[in-house]
Amino acid sequence: MRYKIYVFCFLIFLGADFATATAQQTLVLSGSVRDKQTGESLIKAVVRIQELPSAGIISNEYGFYSLSLPKGNYSVVVTQVGYETLIQKIKLDSSQSINFYLQTKNVLKEVVVESSRKNDNLTKAQMGTETINMSSINKVPVIFGEKDLLKTIQLLPGVKSAGEGNSGFFVRGGSADQNLILLDEAPVYNATHLLGFFSTFNSDAIKDATIIKGNSPSQYGGRLSSVLDVKMKEGNNQNYTVNGGLGLISSKLSIEGPLQKNKSSFILSGRRTYADVFLKATEKFKDNILYFYDLNAKANYQINAKNKIYISGYFGRDELGLGQDFGIDWGNKTGTIRWNKIISNKLFLNTSLIYSDYNYNVKLKNGETNFNINSNIKDLNLKQDYTFYANGANTLRFGFNSILHTIKPSTFSGTVINSVSKEGRNGFENALYLTNNYRANSQFTIDYGVRLSMYTLMGGDVYNVYQNGIVNSSVKLSRSSFGKTYVNPEPRITTNFRINDETSIKAGYARNIQHLHLLSNAVASSPSDQWIGNSYNIKPEVADQWSVGYVTKVFKSNFEFTAEAYYKYLQNQIDYKDGAEINTVSDVESVLLYGIGRAYGVELLLKKKEGRFTGWIGYTLSKTERKIDGINGNNWYNARQDRTHDISVVGIYDLNQRWSISGVFVYNTGDAVTYPTGKYTLQGQTLYQYAARNANRMPAYHRLDFSATYEKNKTKRMHGSWNFSLYNVYGRENAYRISFKDDPNNPTRTQIIRTALFKWVPSVTYQFKF
Amino acid sequence: MKKILFLISFCATILVGCDKEISLVLDNNNPTLVIDGSITDQAGPYFVQLSLSTPITTPTTIVGVNNARVIISDQTGVKDSLLFVSNGLYKTQKIKGIEGGTYNLEVVVDQKKYTASATMPKKVNLDSLRINTFPFNGEIRYSVIPVYTDPVTLGNSYRFIQKINDTLDPTFHVFDDNLNNGKVNQRPLRGGDDNLKVKLKDNVFVEMQCISNASYLYYNSLNQQSGAGPGGGTAPSNPPSNIEGGALGIFSAHTVQRKTITIR
Repeated sequence: MRYKIYVFCFLIFLGADFATATAQQTLVLSGSVRDKQTGESLIKAVVRIQELPSAGIISNEYGFYSLSLPKGNYSVVVTQVGYETLIQKIKLDSSQSINFYLQTKNVLKEVVVESSRKNDNLTKAQMGTETINMSSINKVPVIFGEKDLLKTIQLLPGVKSAGEGNSGFFVRGGSADQNLILLDEAPVYNATHLLGFFSTFNSDAIKDATIIKGNSPSQYGGRLSSVLDVKMKEGNNQNYTVNGGLGLISSKLSIEGPLQKNKSSFILSGRRTYADVFLKATEKFKDNILYFYDLNAKANYQINAKNKIYISGYFGRDELGLGQDFGIDWGNKTGTIRWNKIISNKLFLNTSLIYSDYNYNVKLKNGETNFNINSNIKDLNLKQDYTFYANGANTLRFGFNSILHTIKPSTFSGTVINSVSKEGRNGFENALYLTNNYRANSQFTIDYGVRLSMYTLMGGDVYNVYQNGIVNSSVKLSRSSFGKTYVNPEPRITTNFRINDETSIKAGYARNIQHLHLLSNAVASSPSDQWIGNSYNIKPEVADQWSVGYVTKVFKSNFEFTAEAYYKYLQNQIDYKDGAEINTVSDVESVLLYGIGRAYGVELLLKKKEGRFTGWIGYTLSKTERKIDGINGNNWYNARQDRTHDISVVGIYDLNQRWSISGVFVYNTGDAVTYPTGKYTLQGQTLYQYAARNANRMPAYHRLDFSATYEKNKTKRMHGSWNFSLYNVYGRENAYRISFKDDPNNPTRTQIIRTALFKWVPSVTYQFKF
Repeated sequence: MKKILFLISFCATILVGCDKEISLVLDNNNPTLVIDGSITDQAGPYFVQLSLSTPITTPTTIVGVNNARVIISDQTGVKDSLLFVSNGLYKTQKIKGIEGGTYNLEVVVDQKKYTASATMPKKVNLDSLRINTFPFNGEIRYSVIPVYTDPVTLGNSYRFIQKINDTLDPTFHVFDDNLNNGKVNQRPLRGGDDNLKVKLKDNVFVEMQCISNASYLYYNSLNQQSGAGPGGGTAPSNPPSNIEGGALGIFSAHTVQRKTITIR
């Protein structure tokens, strides 16, 4: 019933405005914004009209824009960070289609994390959103010299690393599985390689990435905490280029070029690590395998001025093995086919067909016996997304998304066990959404909308219904039949009020629903993590987030200061019972526990985006708690990732045409952990006694990294650069783990052992392009 | 899953891991009663050890509780008041453990009552021990496989105590039958402790216990918490115990079989 009210309010709001807007005779200026050299479409470029301060639009994911204007002569101003501003005079006496081509700025002056335009953050209603341009993260030092999208994102306020050197992240108190990670619209279920040390994103193949911390517009859905929307490069449609990098850990190569000049292009990018080459050189580890590779491919074809097709794919795989004895391999496959159609100069349609697959296999060999575990999750996803540039004030976005999930839980097979072939479970997830971006005037903008998400259980397996941990009844659904359907409306609203040219305030509310849940018995991501859909016991996770923000220019407008505060309330959170074997138990639902969570905090960001010196200082003060029935005496406890203070400082300085230096400093309160409060002896062994869960702290984490980049003289054909970096400059031994054990020299004494992973990690990378 | 955790630490090692002893300021619990009692299908007496937990910083020792009243009773009406031996150790006088029997423990300390109940599972015969070899990082490693046939009904649990040349293996080896219900066991007793490798000519002693599901949960959660995952595996807590009243520990009724094998 409630959602009907939302829809009703929505229509009223919209209707009122249409009535006023249609009274005026308007023409339409539409087209796309592109890079002059490569022909890549430019996302989120700002197209505005100098003569009409309230008219302006941001290009969409495919570079498309559409503006409704009265007849007249205008100066169109097109801006995008990293590009020279384009001012083009036009005479608009009929509706026109014009493409704008922007010239890149001198690379030296490039900016690191950016909003798409100088004043962009002031005028957009969007909250908690940051865009990262891949071409500009080159200079941020990272571990192993492997530039990494996910590790750069962790340096933003509100985003926390899952651990030392780890690509996993937590957003505003959410768990790692509550981030929707999209690669060209395809969900990536495990975004890390090598047990979390690398992300699945090969930075050479990525155009840009946007993270939205909970207040996402209604076209996104399915996860509670954040959306990380990663876009692959389209490929240069002017010239063939080859890019590559040689590093200590991995090497990569990309080729891009036109299929048809100006019209279509492709990119092919591959990466492989070779840690195993070093292993082979040592006698002890020569039988071990440890590597990953990934491959990104994308092509686009322009059928005509109104239709364009994109095909993109990703394939990545990790292989780990210990001799003949043990092996594990896992990986993601994604594929997307998209069809852009400009239905009219006001209506843009994108239809996507998306495939996504994640699976892992574990092989254990024990003398004569062997044993396998495997699991997989597969999605087939159809999406239609309309953008309707209704008039100067309203831009509507609506569409639907249908996903068929096939989830096969951990299945065991082998010579010594009963090969229980667990039936996969299917789930049918559907969503309808509608958002309107309404610009009331040059000061006030509001984005409001609703997403109606539905999840239907499908057959293939028996669903047990538990009451107080005991099976009450069970439901057997045949393969193609439907069971219970969960329907949840997700209202979302963000408003922006621009006080003056320098300052604006924002406020927002969003509800997010999550139908797929990750069961993990490790803190960081592990390849054997299991996904499970809703069932009769597992209800959709719900998050309600309220936030307010303040953006202003400071220090002669050279710096942008952003402050945001949020409160988030989580429902239907999942954990499991102590001592439960979640991988082997016949019905994992029998060991699950449910509860609620809350997270709140303040995020401050001071950023300098232009000039020889760029960078930012981010600070987060936050609290994250959970309350699960059956854990910690049903009382609130700190989530592990509850880190009270979190500071990141990033600085990049261009010394001259050739050298630039950069540094990163991070500090955060240690993770919330449980230390023993006593000990006792049982059957000859020392055991520890515990009180409240996660009531203690790991030692504080801090680290300084440094890097220097040397650009070689550009010749006509070849361009190369060297990057030298040092991770953990002052060699702090940050605690990765704290363990308690008997002192081997005096067993009655208890030792507290701190394990640190990395002391100093130097690296060097050579990057080339021709 | 242990394997994966092991692998993570393996990767960590080659990326130059480093262990160092540190000191931390820790909270101290009030001393809490610890009950470790068992009754088996072997001849008595059976023992119940009562002690108090101590702060982490003090030397590990058994602080016996000597003023308790300890009673074990069974469903046939036998009620056995245990005799105090020394340092918190109490022994039974007459009760006899049999397969399938249910036993109730009652402990009263300073007017506070603690109770537990345990049912002894039917014995599953330990047929033999055999040796399993596998290559690992360029050497041959050995482990012992207890050979038994799991009964067809689901829900059997086992615990194995392993001693290598009289040194107790600190791993709590507990098996369930989730995966190999009704099959001959082929799973080896593989210790997580690298310092306690089974070598050629070693004498390995194995005690097999058929335990209740409650005991399995108790020992299995101890195992999971000792896992070496990032940041320390699962969040540790006191393992789920069958003792009511707020004491730590376990009261177990189990069968016992023992065998020894020499590695050759």
